[in-house]
This record gives sequence, structure tokens and C-alpha cells, in this order.
Amino acid sequence: MSEFSPGLEGVVAAETEISEVDGANGRLIYRGGYLIEDLAPVVTFEEVAYLLWHGSLPNEEQLDEQRRQLDAGRRLNKAANATLLATDPATEPMDVLRTVVSAQGASKTFSKPTLDQAIALSAVFPTIVAAIYRRRQGKEVLEPRTDLSHAANLLWMMEGKEPDPDRVHWVDSYLVLLADHGLNASTFAARVVASTGSDLTSAVVGAIGALSGPAHGRATFDARTMLDKIGSAENADKWLHEAHARHERFSGFGHRVYRTYDPRAKILREMAKTAAPELHRTAARTEELALQILHEAHPERPNATNVDFWASVVLTGAGIPKELFTCLFATSRVVGWTAHVLESLTDLRIIRPASKWTGPQPGTKPLQLAKR
Amino acid sequence: MSYVPGLEGIVAAQTQISMVDGANGRLVYQGYVIADLAENMSFEEVAFLLWKGRLPSHAELDALTLELASSRALTQPARITLDALPKDTDPMDVLRSVVSVQGVEHKLEKPSVPLAIHATASFPTILAMFHRRQLGLEPVKPRADLGHAANYLYMLNGKESSPELVHALNTYLVLLADHGMNASTFTARVIASTDSDLASCLVGAIGALKGPAHGGAPSAVMDQLEKIGTAENAERWLRDARKQKVRFMGFGHRVYRTYDPRAKILKEMCARLNPKFYALASKVEETALEILHEEHPERPQATNVEFYSAGVLQAIGLPKEFFPPTFAVARAAGWTAHVLEQVANNRLIRPQSEYIGPEPRKPVPLAERG
Repeated sequence: MSEFSPGLEGVVAAETEISEVDGANGRLIYRGGYLIEDLAPVVTFEEVAYLLWHGSLPNEEQLDEQRRQLDAGRRLNKAANATLLATDPATEPMDVLRTVVSAQGASKTFSKPTLDQAIALSAVFPTIVAAIYRRRQGKEVLEPRTDLSHAANLLWMMEGKEPDPDRVHWVDSYLVLLADHGLNASTFAARVVASTGSDLTSAVVGAIGALSGPAHGRATFDARTMLDKIGSAENADKWLHEAHARHERFSGFGHRVYRTYDPRAKILREMAKTAAPELHRTAARTEELALQILHEAHPERPNATNVDFWASVVLTGAGIPKELFTCLFATSRVVGWTAHVLESLTDLRIIRPASKWTGPQPGTKPLQLAKR
Repeated sequence: MSYVPGLEGIVAAQTQISMVDGANGRLVYQGYVIADLAENMSFEEVAFLLWKGRLPSHAELDALTLELASSRALTQPARITLDALPKDTDPMDVLRSVVSVQGVEHKLEKPSVPLAIHATASFPTILAMFHRRQLGLEPVKPRADLGHAANYLYMLNGKESSPELVHALNTYLVLLADHGMNASTFTARVIASTDSDLASCLVGAIGALKGPAHGGAPSAVMDQLEKIGTAENAERWLRDARKQKVRFMGFGHRVYRTYDPRAKILKEMCARLNPKFYALASKVEETALEILHEEHPERPQATNVEFYSAGVLQAIGLPKEFFPPTFAVARAAGWTAHVLEQVANNRLIRPQSEYIGPEPRKPVPLAERG
């Protein structure tokens, strides 16, 4: 048996062709062998979803067929709708998402994960996220439209007005960039659940649970919260030095895998200039100073800016409130989760690692209650 | 490091909660061998043991019993969700959804023993209420004067069960409360490692337990026994099934190399409580082990815990759809204990993957794709 490897760092838990994080060279490769920086400028989220599910980019006809399937899957069923409306509007959005997805996927008969289910599950995420937003505003939930893209539908259902093409583009780009990222904790959670032969909803619900964690999906929210506290480019220097003196972590910096600048952060940083010029100014100054401070403190560490930092700026420009950032992340990553689950079916084997016993030597006889 | 399928043999956690000593056929909870706990301890005592690392005193047990009893009610949103799900929904899906909604009131709270108690207390209520709804019966309010096992049966049936059946269910719950780094427990720890909340961990674990290769098996055992029908038919059925490469349900385990100590206890209980089932099952077991041994003499094809669980749960009066979620009622104690242990000494569980796709190339824009 191997030694205990905390966090399974360096342990290879899956073979995959869905994506590859080449941390040493700062590259993210999506299925089919496409570098994220080559893909992002030329594809929509729907094309990326097709790519991750099928392994090749779709032609017009294939994309149309998938669009029809997505449109057919956008509505909540009765149980999911009742569940949504039962929660207090102020409930943590990821908890609502987890619960409503679970109810939406609850069924009488057991089914192995299928591509059709992956499409239907992915289709319903924007509906749930927009409904959470509307309910937080005290507004009526809106119906999805069939003439809009995934990103545009999300904005439409949130606001009930024709979405601005620029904002649609920013949301769509964000969704493209976050759709998959190797064996991160939520994707791994999905694969572990699926490894028992369980259904797709169970795997996705487990992944949502993992993504809810501050050490995973909440990082974008935390980055924006830090930028809010900093407030302006002028205040960055003072705030960061004081925070550093208090041993506070800078949100949006550092990653276990990348040893150089995250390629997604690079694309989002550029986009942030037009999406949110004011916040971009604060963020750019913050980044410059934070990297400087971190480098002085730990010259040996590759403390590069991570995707969450610049994603928080772009999403802000797209009009997404920060309470929904983790839900947006899930809306994107669900295609990666489902692609990984479908991939794992071809050679399904239960993921059951070992544990090392550190408790007392076995054999002590328990005392009966009366004698304790 | 190269790819390790199923992470077999990879140590993913250090734990004091339980040890599966496969070579010697021992299951140990916090240092106590399962056979020493099973018949004499209440589920509450064992839950305390798993959470705190020692057996409770009288006063501590009273306090825990009271806290469990006072945490059994469902929240308003949880009740609405439970009533909104179609009556024929798989009870595992009901449990997953209602545990999820029940947990929303503790948003972003760090997992703790009180939250573990709260969640563990709610599982039987969810299942009993749903079962009664399926039968068109009004829900029964939990009774604070009954233990975990007795109250579960009371809420299911609307009346108290015999001490014998309560004892049997209690023993089942004790036996199944934890089992090393199984797939659902590991799922809970992976989710906990992101600093997520307890409900998220439990919901993920329920999802993993649902899989046929994990907790979904006891109902499959029942299905197979139903197909076999009679002890006389066992040999013929099993040999035919084998020719068609049908898997025998309730046999084999990745860890035990000898008879599962829990299966041994359940087998004795089954003989006592469910003689009809036992007559068929013991014949099927004998024949199945014989056939498996002929095929693979090198493999330790021992009977696993699911096999006789089915007979015990049937004797208790549970319909087979409720076998997997009743497994969850027991394992809730172990899952929550593992989450607390993970959180106490946490590191994000993020393994690597090995990319086996094509080398980087340029994408063709949509308009140019054929």
C-alpha cells in the first residue's frame, strides 16, 4: 500500500480526454486537443458543450439539433418548481441550486447516465439561477425563450428584457472558459459518485456540493469581495499592505496546478477592460501590488493570478451580482462534470481508496453503559 | 505517478473512525471490534463513539438521545419538497432532495457535532413520511421517548414494533454505521475538503450510495432471490445464470479476504427472524459460493453484508425500495464523523488526471466545418 498523500496531491485518479491542465506551461487543453486561447475567440458555450460531450466541434446541423434539445430541457418539472418556491428567497443560492437540481432529477426508475440527460440537466441550470435571482429581487420567475442562446437566455430570465449583445458575449465567454478544468475537486466528486454506478443527477448534485466550498467555487465571490473592500485603485496599496500585515490571504491568487499565469485569467483580464472599466482599474492595480507583495514574501512560490480574480471583474461587467458567481461557475462546469461522468462509463470501476488507521489498537472490550 | 484505477491501495485519508481489516475479517470502530458492539450497543451509543472517539457516559447518552429526539422534525421547505415529489419516486432520490433542502438553514456553517446530530436525526423522518405518503397515510409525529431505531419503525408503521424487531433494526444500524474509506464516505470527505457545508457532503454521499456497486445492492439481492424462487431451484437457476454471465448479487468485496463479520451476525439474525428467507438464502449462498469457487478457486468470494441484510430488513417490514435509504440512515453517523475528521485536519482533495486525448491543434470556425 502507498504512503498517505494528503489531498491526493500528485496521485493520478483518472485517465481523461475531456481536458488537460498543463500547469508547468500554463496551458489548458479542451477535448479534441484545443488550447483554450485558440478556442475561446471562435466558439460559443453551446459549441464547447458539444465538444466536451462528443469529442469534436459540431457543424451547423449538429449544433441546431443540440439547441433544440437544450430548449426542450429548460423548464423545471412540477416537483422542482415546488421545491424552488418552498425555499426562502434569501437562501444561499448554491443550496437552492443543489436542491432544485436534485428534485428535477428525482425519478421512479434508475437509469445509467446518458448524453440526453446531460443536455437536459445543463439546460435547466440557467433557469434555476435566474429564478433564484428574481426571487431575491422579490420578482416573478420568468419563462425561458427558445430563440435565445444559453447565455442570452440566462440574462433574459434574470431581467426580463432583451439582453445587450456585449453582456451576452461576456457571459458566454466566461461559460466557455470555465467549462472544464481537469480533475478539480467537484469533477472528482462527480466521478467518485458515478463510479458506484449511480445516476447522473446524483453525480451532479455531489459536484455542486463540492463547488459550494470556499476552497473551490466560492473563490470568485471572495475575489470580488476583496475588490469591494479595496474600493479604488488609489486605496489598493494601503489596503493590501495592511491585509498582508494581518496575514490575510489575498483572494484570487495562487493555484495548486498552474506554475505560471492561468491562460483563462489572461483572456478575462483583457475582456475586463471593456466589460467593467472602473473595476478593471482597481483590479489591475490590485493585481500588480498583490503579486509584488506575494513575491517579496515568498520568492520561491509561483503566486500567479488565478481565473477567479479576473472572472469576478468580467461577471460584474456583465451585470451578474456576486451572490450568483458560484452558480454561474456551476452553470458552466456542469457540461464538464457530465462529460467526465459519461467518459467514466466506458470503463467503470468503483473509486474506493484505502485509509490508514491511526486509532487505538483494536481489541479493547467495550464497557457496558452501567459501568461507564 | 501512474494512473491507479479505482485508487485501489492508495491511502486517501488517515482515520481513527473505523478500520476494515480485510485480511483478518475484522471491522473495528474506534478500537472496538464490531462483534463486541453489535448486539449490546444502541445506535445512539455507536454514533457518539464515531463522533467523539469514546463511548458515552449515562448522562452523555441521555443528552444525545434528547438532542436527536428533538431534531427529528422537518423544516417547512423540506415538507413541501417531500410532498411535491411524485409518490413513485425512488426513495433514495427523495432522501437526497429532502436532506438537501433540510440543510439550507445551516448555510456555510462549518460542520460540527450538533449539525451532525441534526442531520442524522432527520433521515428516518424523511423516509417514514414519504413511505406513509406513498400508502396514502397521514404522517406520524416522531416520539421523543423512543430511540432512533424504535422511532423509525414507529413513524413508518404508526405503531410501536416488537422489542425483537427494534433490536434487529438497531443491530443493523450499528453494523452499517461505518466502514472505512468506502465510496460514499470518500465522496463526503472530498466535498468536505473544499470547506463546503455538511448537507452538501451528505447529499453527495447519498448519491454515491445509490449506485448498484455500493448501497444499491440489497434490493438487487432480493430481486435475484425472487427470481430463484425456491431452494430446490437454486442450483439450476444459478448454474444457468452463470452461463449467461449474470453476476450473483451479495457476493464479493474489494477489501475482505474472508467472511465479512457483519454478514456473519446478520446471517444469524436472519435465521431467527426470517426463517422463510433464510431457507432459500442459505441454500443460494451455499450453491453460489460453490460455483464461484469452482470458477475462481484463487478468489475469496465471500458473502457480503448486502446478502443477509435483505432478509433482516424484510423481516423488519421494510419494502425493498427502502433498503438502500435505510443503509443511509445507519451510514449517516459514519459520514458525518468522517466529515468532522476531515475538517479538523483539512487539505483540498484534488488528485491529478492523465490526459489521453490528442496533442494540441487549432479549431476550425463553425462556418468552415463540414
